[in-house]
Amino acid sequence: MKRTALSQKGLPVIQAEDIHDKSIKLTADVVVVGSGAGGAVSAYELAKAGKKVVVLEAGPYIPSEQFSEMLAVGMGQLYQDSGGQSNLSKDMTILQGACVGGSTVVNATVCFRTPDYYLKLWAKEYGTTNLSTESLTPYFEKVEKNLSIRRAVREEMSDDANLLVDGCEKAGIPWKASRRNVRFCALTGACLSGCVTDRKQSMLVTYLPWATAYGATIYSDTYVTQIKEQNGKVSVVKAEIKDRKTGQKKADMEIKAPMVILAAGAIQTPLILLRSKIANSSGQVGKNYACHPSLSVTGYIPNLNQDFYGAWHSMYVDEYTLPDKGGYILLSGIQDPVEATLNSEPGTGKPFMQHMLESKNLVRFITLIHDRNHGEVLWEDGVKKINYDMHDDDFPYMIAAMKKSIDVLFAAGATKIYLPTFNKMEIQNPSEVEQIMDSLKNEPARYRYVSYHPQGTCRMGSDPTKSVVNPYGETHDVKGLYVADASLLPTSIGYNPQQTVYTLASYIADHIVKNINN
Amino acid sequence: MEKYLQNGSKTGSRAFTRRHFLKFSSLAFTSATVPVPLLFGGLASSSAIAKGISPQIKNINTYEYQVLNYLMEIALPITGTSLPTPEKISAMITLDQALLGTMEKHLLAELKLGIKFFNEGPKASYHGKLFTQLSPGQAVKFCDNWADSKSPQERGIVMGLKKLVALAYWSNPTTWPLLNYIGPISKRKNIPSLGNAPLPI
Repeated sequence: MKRTALSQKGLPVIQAEDIHDKSIKLTADVVVVGSGAGGAVSAYELAKAGKKVVVLEAGPYIPSEQFSEMLAVGMGQLYQDSGGQSNLSKDMTILQGACVGGSTVVNATVCFRTPDYYLKLWAKEYGTTNLSTESLTPYFEKVEKNLSIRRAVREEMSDDANLLVDGCEKAGIPWKASRRNVRFCALTGACLSGCVTDRKQSMLVTYLPWATAYGATIYSDTYVTQIKEQNGKVSVVKAEIKDRKTGQKKADMEIKAPMVILAAGAIQTPLILLRSKIANSSGQVGKNYACHPSLSVTGYIPNLNQDFYGAWHSMYVDEYTLPDKGGYILLSGIQDPVEATLNSEPGTGKPFMQHMLESKNLVRFITLIHDRNHGEVLWEDGVKKINYDMHDDDFPYMIAAMKKSIDVLFAAGATKIYLPTFNKMEIQNPSEVEQIMDSLKNEPARYRYVSYHPQGTCRMGSDPTKSVVNPYGETHDVKGLYVADASLLPTSIGYNPQQTVYTLASYIADHIVKNINN
Repeated sequence: MEKYLQNGSKTGSRAFTRRHFLKFSSLAFTSATVPVPLLFGGLASSSAIAKGISPQIKNINTYEYQVLNYLMEIALPITGTSLPTPEKISAMITLDQALLGTMEKHLLAELKLGIKFFNEGPKASYHGKLFTQLSPGQAVKFCDNWADSKSPQERGIVMGLKKLVALAYWSNPTTWPLLNYIGPISKRKNIPSLGNAPLPI
């Protein structure tokens, strides 16, 4: 377990600009594809166990001092397709980080343990009997300690969150302060554009530098094109290193390794497998896509003069999150004026400008639902396609979630509610809620959906005809080829999934190390 | 409320200016966040604008510029406020270079078709007039009607184009002081970086 000094700040990353050879050939014990939640944990645990680990990240390395604290700029810097990734119908934006550190760099820090409900469901329906609250608790605790996960205190909450807390208490709805992976949060409200001062405990300042302290090597701007197998075992990873500015290929890379851990996220991981034409005897690669679609209901609160700072997701309501309780979670989320241009339709022209001038009075409550795994990620004609629309059977949960949000906003003192529709839709009085909300239909290009949590596209399970990987993360078809990201989740979990991914990645890595040692 | 900040108290608002340009690509018609690299810097000369389209407009032709510029004009009226005009903050240049400039070619091509479709949309209801030929009041009404159209395509296009022009304007920090929004705070307050977390024990 040879270790070098941990760098105090920053990360040693080999970037495209550092590459001068046209062809790079390496050998490694483990190749980790993706440097987000699952990839970084995998890289650290295996490097610490003495393995020669190479991490390949398609996105750029952006040091934290270059983060802008402006969402508009951050999108172009840090997000997949600069924040423009969407479903085929183009009415749902699907946000993922695409940089060293992945989505952990741009998420809102909120952490939840995997609910026992889902662990039991997965064990029963997918054969993952090894995954239980009991077996995973040590890993939950390890991750919580490593990432300083703790519950926010009232003084850290944003103005809008405090208002929503008051609304919940008046409406008799239990609320909780968010558990967040931060150290000494500076409450800048800029989580979604990266934490300039390294207080968010993303992979950029935790597992990745730790992995490099144990000898792991990280390449950015490196896009995996193919994974090859030989005699049923993973053998080679092929990649292209691309110039960040021009997008042109600078070098070909080939790494021979007996173990590959795919952690490129629930959209890119299945695409790599589909392009490579491996590990898909089940036909399930790319299928079973779910994504927790969300909408923001906005309330106008007179006499509010918020300052847009604080813990980004300060509080939440999970009283109704499990499917038999409602299937949705509500979360506060600071809505700065730039984002306010996107979430409501007050009407064209003067009404819109008036709405913007009232930004300091606008509070939104985010609704996020547990959805069916009915979507699919495809690779067709060299293009990624995300085939997912709000399911008719899921839509009522979204309506119920929005109704509850509206109750809280009115209780908090809202005098007007803006619905997240393409057309102008407002509710002025609580007595109008049922009639207006029940009139809404599930239609394309009608609602301003955002998804932050793609998942499910390489599901775990014991049945190789119905799942891509076994309950220990190894693909059924190819030995040595693992998946360690949100693709694994057999069903959507209704809660922000980052802690689940950290935990599963830790568990899988531990299993790998134990097997190697045995 | 008292905040748990490392340093200091809230400062008053002041204009934030910075020269920066980022490449990005985006879909015009997604229903949520569209990335907007910011183009800051000097205010555009009003005489230069008065002479016609800026030579900095590279990704749309005159027809498309006229449609988007008119949409921006009717969607972002600043009369009665102390907000800067879109021309003053070069919002059309931001839209062209930041939002359209590095858009993937097939997406930009789709957007251009959408602009044409949108501009020709009023013909049926407004006696053959194009969008650019409508009065401001008619143009506003047309946009609102399409937002509630039975056609998903019409709903999607008008929402997408309105988002583009809104983002090109409101992403500029010069527009923020009136909104009580200061913007980035860490460097302003000299909040120190914590650096990398210590290795787990």
